Amino acid sequence: MQLNHAQRELTVKIVYYGPGLSGKTTNLQMVHQRTSPDVRGRLLTVETHDDRTLFFDLLPVFFSTANGFKVKVKLFTVPGQVIHNATRRIVLQGADAVAFIADSRRAAGQENNAYWKNLVENMKENNLDPAQVPIVIQYNKRDLPDTKTDAEIEETRKKGREPVVGAIAIRGVGVLETLYTVLQSAYRSLEARAHLSKTIGLTEKEFLTQVFANIDVSGTELEKVLPPRAPGART
Amino acid sequence: MRQGESVLQRRISLGEMLDTESFTEVVKGFVELYRVGIKVFDEKGGKLADIKIGNGDFCGYVFSFPEGRRRCTATVGRVKDGPLALSHGARLPVLEPDLVPAAKGMLTVPCFTGLRYLVVPILWEGDTLGRVVFGPFMPEDLKDFPPRTLTEISEGFDVGNARPLVDKVRLAPEGTIARVMLHFGQLLQTMLFAGQKMFLTTQVHIEATLDSNRELEERNKRLEDANTRLKELDRLKSAFLATVSHELRTPLTSIIGYSEMLAEGLAGPLNGEQIDYVRTIMEKGETLLKLISSILDISQIEAGKVRLNFEPMDALELINGSLTSLKPQVQKKGVALDAKLPAKMPMVTGDRDRLRQVIVNLLTNAVKFTPKGGRVAVTLTEVQHQPDLNAPGYRILVEDSGVGIPADQFDKIFNSFYQVDSSSTREYGGAGLGLAIVKSFVEGHGGVVRVASELGHGSRFTLVLPVTPGSQQQVLITPPVTSVGPADDRF
Repeated sequence: MQLNHAQRELTVKIVYYGPGLSGKTTNLQMVHQRTSPDVRGRLLTVETHDDRTLFFDLLPVFFSTANGFKVKVKLFTVPGQVIHNATRRIVLQGADAVAFIADSRRAAGQENNAYWKNLVENMKENNLDPAQVPIVIQYNKRDLPDTKTDAEIEETRKKGREPVVGAIAIRGVGVLETLYTVLQSAYRSLEARAHLSKTIGLTEKEFLTQVFANIDVSGTELEKVLPPRAPGART
Repeated sequence: MRQGESVLQRRISLGEMLDTESFTEVVKGFVELYRVGIKVFDEKGGKLADIKIGNGDFCGYVFSFPEGRRRCTATVGRVKDGPLALSHGARLPVLEPDLVPAAKGMLTVPCFTGLRYLVVPILWEGDTLGRVVFGPFMPEDLKDFPPRTLTEISEGFDVGNARPLVDKVRLAPEGTIARVMLHFGQLLQTMLFAGQKMFLTTQVHIEATLDSNRELEERNKRLEDANTRLKELDRLKSAFLATVSHELRTPLTSIIGYSEMLAEGLAGPLNGEQIDYVRTIMEKGETLLKLISSILDISQIEAGKVRLNFEPMDALELINGSLTSLKPQVQKKGVALDAKLPAKMPMVTGDRDRLRQVIVNLLTNAVKFTPKGGRVAVTLTEVQHQPDLNAPGYRILVEDSGVGIPADQFDKIFNSFYQVDSSSTREYGGAGLGLAIVKSFVEGHGGVVRVASELGHGSRFTLVLPVTPGSQQQVLITPPVTSVGPADDRF
């Protein structure tokens, strides 16, 4: 988190982490698609010829609070390929929360574990305390054959304290739910550390409502959680 | 631990996103096409581009009057540094309704001369990174030129003089200039996106390279430390072995000596059985002594304490002497021992005792691994050019018809304490030091040793030795540790 009182600006950084081809970029593309151009920047992506993220993706989303504080949420992805570990460390620097995108196929278990360990290591290298930087796990590719059953995923969830969200990112399923969960976790952690509601008067409700005010949540679970949108609002 | 803040953690300025030179070219093209001046400033008022057209002569004339200069400076200050808000003389531009949403944030700033400026903020991801100033242009809707605000600057202001000058300034409706400006804004956004992408990726790439390098250096340091510790331990081990072997040899020599005296009856006559027992003590003592000597040799080689003494020697005599000392073993084992030697051989240079030890070691091995009825042969070639050494030299071949060595073990058999069969139930004894000693001594002469073998059909060891070792002096055999140190300082 970067909080600039002089410029009345708060920047929150979310990093999408996980093995190569697990769907990190797809998540960002889906968020980008569903967000009004008024409140987001362009999606910056550097890909190799085989459509794999070379460096990172970056999608900024911004809004102003009722108190006139500018809030920027920067969504990053890390490159999945093993050789780009240094880039992963750099992108991870200063993260406020991490969305760990796991491939839910059984065959990907080992790879998920390897990147989970890599995440923990790189957090340590960046001086990020896992107790203060929350992680949300997204089990992506739930539609593919050989995917873990709901019961198996429930087992995984019980092993740790991280929230787990199922997803089929390529169809937009679970993408916004993951974003909501990771932003909520980020806010709660920042609130505990920096008391955002007192220092800049930004409550969890306002934070989440404002971010999602210009994101099209129709057809997602978030319709039940977020206040109904004004009819005719731009998306 | 990573150090330093990444470029991803900070706000990027306009100047970092735009390549000033090519950006200026684009602005120049725009200015020439539309005949309106363009200035681009970053959020701190720094100038990124400033291309003027048409207004120079007129503004110069106005500027020549002190009050004109004062008012001009104030107007320029207003467009450059004034608030991006409807205050301080700025108003909303007069636009066709379709342009209004896209022209959000655009301001019109009138100049006291009747000319006008349009100012638009450069918005990027919700931040204002700077502003673009269009103008001055002559608005089509201006009815009276010159206005009173211009003529009042001086009694000497000459309208007749000013009019042809102001005609050079672009005349256009405000809405037209606004359209051009919006078009420029779109182009600028594209340039910013491309520039940001390039800037960020380049910077992150550099950061990643530096960080990888840092990581490698840390790892190298750890490995170097570990290597230094291991070398030190290895040296201690060799020193310990050398001491222990030496300490073992001294009492063993006494044991053998006193047994010999007993066997020779110096302490009184012994009966047949007693002599047999004492001879067994002597024989086993000799075996043990050889083993200890080998350990001492290898530990001294590894501790870097062995010097070779080069002197002229006769290679024929060397082979013959070695064969003689092998005779008893050969007879006992029941193998044939052949020698193919040249009739004449010039004197060569080498350490006679060490080379003899080399040949004896190879022959002892050959006899040991060849079953009864087998054959062992030693061949000495004449002196000729040796491609292996790129120098004149000779070869000594030791062949046997024994058990042979598996091909994948060829490299390992020259390692200290290595044995092809290291199981506890192995058939052949020995400490696995003979060939390591052979290799060290041969290489100390600047020679090479090679092995060829077919499993079950015997082995052939080939020594290639130079007539004269590279160094004429004594050579200190370096420990068989392969490590490349940094080069010495040269400047």
